[in-house]
Amino acid sequence: MNAIETNGLTKVYEGSAVVKGLDLRVNGEIYGLLGPNGSGKTTTVNMLTTLVRPTSGTASVCGHDVTKDSAGVRRSMSYVPQDMAVDIRLTGWENVELFAKLYGIKDKTERRERIEYVLDIMNLTDRAGDMTKKYSGGMRRRLELAQALVHRPEVLFLDEPTVGLDVTSRRSIWEYITKLRGSGMTIFVTTHQMDEAERYCDRVGILKKGVLLNEGTPGELTSGLEDVVIVRTDSGLPRNLPDGVTPVKLENGEAVFSASDGADSLDAILDSYKAEGGKVFSASVRGPTLEDVYMQAIGPGEEAPFDEDRFRNMMRRR
Amino acid sequence: MIYGVLAYAQRDLRRWIRSPMNVISTLVMPAAWLIFMGVVLPGTDKGYLDFITPGVLVMTMLNAGLFGGSSLMFDKVLGYLDKFLAAPTPRESILAGKIIFITVRGLLQALVIQIIAILVGATVLSLWAYIATFAILALFGVFVASFGTTIALYLGEHDSYAAAQSFLSMPLYLASTAMLRYDQMPAVLFYIAKVNPLSYAIDAARMASSGTFPLLEVAVLVAVSVVMALLCIRMFRRATIS
Repeated sequence: MNAIETNGLTKVYEGSAVVKGLDLRVNGEIYGLLGPNGSGKTTTVNMLTTLVRPTSGTASVCGHDVTKDSAGVRRSMSYVPQDMAVDIRLTGWENVELFAKLYGIKDKTERRERIEYVLDIMNLTDRAGDMTKKYSGGMRRRLELAQALVHRPEVLFLDEPTVGLDVTSRRSIWEYITKLRGSGMTIFVTTHQMDEAERYCDRVGILKKGVLLNEGTPGELTSGLEDVVIVRTDSGLPRNLPDGVTPVKLENGEAVFSASDGADSLDAILDSYKAEGGKVFSASVRGPTLEDVYMQAIGPGEEAPFDEDRFRNMMRRR
Repeated sequence: MIYGVLAYAQRDLRRWIRSPMNVISTLVMPAAWLIFMGVVLPGTDKGYLDFITPGVLVMTMLNAGLFGGSSLMFDKVLGYLDKFLAAPTPRESILAGKIIFITVRGLLQALVIQIIAILVGATVLSLWAYIATFAILALFGVFVASFGTTIALYLGEHDSYAAAQSFLSMPLYLASTAMLRYDQMPAVLFYIAKVNPLSYAIDAARMASSGTFPLLEVAVLVAVSVVMALLCIRMFRRATIS
């Protein structure tokens, strides 16, 4: 049994398909679903968390079908949406207590122990009695994770878990997520942060217009791409390029090339500039990143239609 | 189910009690109305204060219910609802908790207004008369909370709902038996008052105060509350599952 399984999962809104025939198998790992705004990431998560009904295809979480046994799905997973929604006039403890009750933990002693435990894991014990109004963004996100963990779900869905957080908070959120995976939980994340996905996700899938284009470990996905050589110059591209070097773009005095062996090619490229009398200010080589894979898959200039709800929520958060 | 309902209602009550401005602001209007109409206005006597007190109590429930109508819509807009919907508690318990919260809050406010009424000179009734009055107010509270919640979910955003709320509240109050008896009304008002659920709540509360059981009025209130609650459940399902 797969923790998350979808077969031909499809959602159509007003005649247009937002998610098209998605097939996923996710088990005991951190799976990152990447894609531009409007690519169907949130709709996919909403179908898996039983907030949206699929138009066709099937999906199951821990063996429970999302349409036939949606209550079973909700018992085995937790969902932390993108909007940071903690009750600011409740204390941290009370916020978690609410969810402990919603998950049906009726025994008072057990409830107290579990709340204490998750607050401790998320490092919030000292501030548990404070109104969450006084919590920072990172603390609020950790409190939401505590709420989600209080019923020990087998699968955790996180929609943009680090959006709007500073660097330190982002890192600590990912460290908590990694720890949870270590305890055997399956974690399904959507994100726009390529660097975070590359660093922390075991596998990623890239979604474009509701279709899964690429799927694999970040290593597998980047291994197909060449190294990147970046040269700052005022001379444009050299007329004679070394063998095996492809120019990618020339922008703001920066020439970008791709090559299978970056280090060797760098020397060759610099030699070309020298031979032609070109001026080079600096040059560097880097390996391919997930962002390169993403940009190649998605292509430039994909603008999603404006989502008014999302925008309003973002404005409120600032 | 019940457990989840209580958890949701407790959440809302806690949030409300910790916001003193909200607590006070919803009391000012009915208190001012009661004191102005019942005490200050020249030519009024104790009889008129006793006459308008049930109306002001119902008005308190009306305002509390309409004010609370936006609560679930806010939960939706602010993202709380998605988290609640993904929890295993039956989904309708979110709505039930909300209606109970709005009604209980209204009853607490009505209790304060009732105490003010006694302090400014309203006749003290028997305990049973008060219990009957508050049972009627609770019934009306369920109606108005469902009504407000349905409209707010339908409109989907706060500005439109605020407009609808101010548009509904005063006319409903004035076109009822709150200030006038049926035999004092012009014909147009009479017919409007006759189909206004507020009149039935007010008449029922008046009859309870005078010691008669308002069978017809209570039957009408039960009927409109059930219908409105069903409409509200339908709207809730439409607003939550797509």
